[in-house]
Amino acid sequence: MQFFQYGNEGYKSILDPRTKLLLLVVINVVIIGTGFTGTDFLLRIVCAAIPLVLFVIIRRYRTALLYGLVCLVMFFGEAVLIPCTTGTINLLIVITLGPFSRILVGYAFAYYMMCSTTVSEFVTALKQMRVPDQISIPLSVMFRFFPTLAEESHAIRDAMRLRGIRLTGKNGGLLKQIEYEVVPLMMSTLRIGDELSAASLTKGLNPGKPRTHICRVKMELWDWALVALSLGFLIYMLVLR
Amino acid sequence: MIKFQDVSFHYKNTDAFGKQQKTRGVDGLTLTVKKGEFVVLAGDSGCGKTTVTRLINGLVPHYYEGELSGTVSVCGMDVQSSGIGDLAPHVGSVFQNPRSQFFNVDTTSELAFASENLCTPPDEIRKNIRRIVQEMYMEPLMDRSIFALSGGEKQKVACASVAVAEPEIMVLDEPSSNLDAAGIEELAKVLALWKAKGKTVVVAEHRLYYLTALADRLLLLRDGKLAEEIPGDQIRRMDNAQAGERGLRSFTPIAMPETETVSAEDVLVCEDLEFHYKHSENGIHIPYLCIPRGKITAIVGKNGAGKSTFARVLCGLERKSRGSVRFEGREWKPKMRPSLCYMIMQDVNHQLFTDSVLEEVMLSMPESVSKQEREPLARKVLEQLDLSYLSDIHPMALSGGQKQRVAIAGGVVAKNPVLLFDEPTSGLDLRHMRQVADLLRQLRDTGKTVIVITHDPELVQEIADRVIAFC
Amino acid sequence: MDKKLNAKDLINIGIFTALYFAIVFIVAFVGYIPIMMVIMPALCALIGGIPFMLFLTRARKFGMVTIMGTLLGLLTFLLGRPWLSILFGVVAGLVADLYLKGSDYLSIKKAPLSCGIFSLWIVGMALPMFFGFRDAYFESLRPGYGDAYVDALSKLTPSWMFWVLIVTIFLGGLLGGFLGAKILKKHFVKAGMA
Repeated sequence: MQFFQYGNEGYKSILDPRTKLLLLVVINVVIIGTGFTGTDFLLRIVCAAIPLVLFVIIRRYRTALLYGLVCLVMFFGEAVLIPCTTGTINLLIVITLGPFSRILVGYAFAYYMMCSTTVSEFVTALKQMRVPDQISIPLSVMFRFFPTLAEESHAIRDAMRLRGIRLTGKNGGLLKQIEYEVVPLMMSTLRIGDELSAASLTKGLNPGKPRTHICRVKMELWDWALVALSLGFLIYMLVLR
Repeated sequence: MIKFQDVSFHYKNTDAFGKQQKTRGVDGLTLTVKKGEFVVLAGDSGCGKTTVTRLINGLVPHYYEGELSGTVSVCGMDVQSSGIGDLAPHVGSVFQNPRSQFFNVDTTSELAFASENLCTPPDEIRKNIRRIVQEMYMEPLMDRSIFALSGGEKQKVACASVAVAEPEIMVLDEPSSNLDAAGIEELAKVLALWKAKGKTVVVAEHRLYYLTALADRLLLLRDGKLAEEIPGDQIRRMDNAQAGERGLRSFTPIAMPETETVSAEDVLVCEDLEFHYKHSENGIHIPYLCIPRGKITAIVGKNGAGKSTFARVLCGLERKSRGSVRFEGREWKPKMRPSLCYMIMQDVNHQLFTDSVLEEVMLSMPESVSKQEREPLARKVLEQLDLSYLSDIHPMALSGGQKQRVAIAGGVVAKNPVLLFDEPTSGLDLRHMRQVADLLRQLRDTGKTVIVITHDPELVQEIADRVIAFC
Repeated sequence: MDKKLNAKDLINIGIFTALYFAIVFIVAFVGYIPIMMVIMPALCALIGGIPFMLFLTRARKFGMVTIMGTLLGLLTFLLGRPWLSILFGVVAGLVADLYLKGSDYLSIKKAPLSCGIFSLWIVGMALPMFFGFRDAYFESLRPGYGDAYVDALSKLTPSWMFWVLIVTIFLGGLLGGFLGAKILKKHFVKAGMA
């Protein structure tokens, strides 16, 4: 669950969360919907480059490098290898690369979003989009809970190793394995959920009641530029093609 | 400020055997806390001190359900008839578990959270945050992920997040349970600051030494009733023996006992043990360490000194560690170590998998034990650990101490010669701490090599044959 | 009991959606083998049934299941599926919710069936394969992936497969519901936590 780790220590995002949401949608639409020729191909490259640039901006050089390399391999495979192979090899390459390259860019951008947006920025943006508390509160709790789940499941897996619970051997079996891993995780979820609710209540959390936000989210020049770009892409995808 | 008039409360819940029952929280309690007073609530676990804190912040009866009689008034409001939300601006609460009391992922948002809920204008909240951050010296903790903080830092953020909304009353429920000595010192500073600012502070706590200098009054609860009321200056004149008579942890700080040197005994030897986490400076390098066999060895040291990493390496959880571990004339490679050393984790909940205590114990048995032998052997171990009467109960329905014993039973049947305990007494009162100590001695006397990682000087004083300090 | 959703309910929705999604996500990731793609959604529904049944013990008010479905639909959408997938989340959640409301959320017998209904949000994940999207989707694949792949994929996913998928997901969810009920009884009821 590394995807949802908050890793934004001491850094302020340059983009508004709403811009990121729009970009995420547009990138996915483009990457899933386009082919490998002409304008389509150009669009793909632009979209694939966006997470790369953004990773560099938030100083995630290692991630950027890794992502860039994987992207290159993908594009090379799709643009060069697939057209010049046939038969089984072609199918094999296509089946391994195909689905992966379709989700790679979207996931990379989602990952960027997770590590460049604080949950409170996200919630503030949702509020400005008039999303009700009944959606925004569970949503922010959800994001807060992913890293907790990762911590808990890490501890549970350690414990399983200490006890010698493995897929094979005396306590083996896939169903047993799932039970041993999921049940303690659900127990923790219940316990942490109860404690979290209690703590939030004493801090006056009350759905439906108006509240303020200290976090400033504002559309800046960059945001508008990217919004314009996204809209352009959308128009091309939905109307021009 | 706070007034309890003949208050009784019973929680509704089910016991380990599945029967509906009522558990006493408090029973006919009458007490008053004046404005600006610093009150410490002490007593055994289950004496009702946590319930008192919950009655003040409204979690009882509005969140934890049960039967309430008598009247509780806080800041002139009747707790029964007003909601938790009405009390929230006046009462700030800090809880025991730093993992589960944060709504946000980053520290700054958490600091603002309570004020945001009160609809305070953003500029004012920012101003308050700046002031609190300055008062509490916590610039380095701002704009950080909660998940990257140590337990002590988390608890400091929890205190600050309460303070930003400036409530008149602060209630803390065992805030030091998960902290080391340095963390407790920080906590004590925060409490001193609150006292100086004239806040009314109510702390329910087992560890008392850090509170004696601050307390105006200590209320000793027993079975939900007020057993004794001791004024602050009297506590400061009392010694630890007098605390022990009352079943309380020490009033004055206890220094960690000195390290002894070991003679040439049969030992567990670690040589050149080295491990470093990826993408992190944390890690350990231990040139030489020997741990006497069949003795209790305490490992102490502040957070971040590598105690847990050492434990993980010794139990074989970090397979990429370098160096050697020798025991009983054998070299134990990382892969083999799970059958050398068995760890009882700080949060034993993670360690319990099955649906009955008996199953749980049988799960740990090595494959060499034949089918017919399994159950009798498990029952024998349960007998030894005084768990027989619980053998059909679901482990998660047990109390914390019972869960710990079930986990230990697992280690005993697994036939691991070394048992390692990670903070076995965090958050325990004197009586339960002594129970754990007895249990450790019992394990030692059956020939196990016991290693205890702990921040608890009283436990070390009680049991350790040898102390190793990590720094 | 107050019928309005309070803070505790909303927090429970949040943590259980996280748990449910994490589990489904991991199953989907582990099962990410092209041949498996046809049964993978059903597998997700099956394993997801376990946390969902536990969620139902905490969801005693109308709206909680609907919100969970909506959140899952939103997440699917954010991960690049067509906007219709949100609708699948909302509707699957709503129908399951209405079905449970009929018995005031107390019937244990109804729970597995509602789990089957709820699981249909997963259809949203596989949506690009079908309906109006299908042909456009395959055409968009053709230049890049080559005819062999597209033909293989479209053979694997003829339009009637859509209905088969719905049925398998529903059955997976139903089975997951029974599995979850069994685990609830074995662990959570016994431990006094449900």
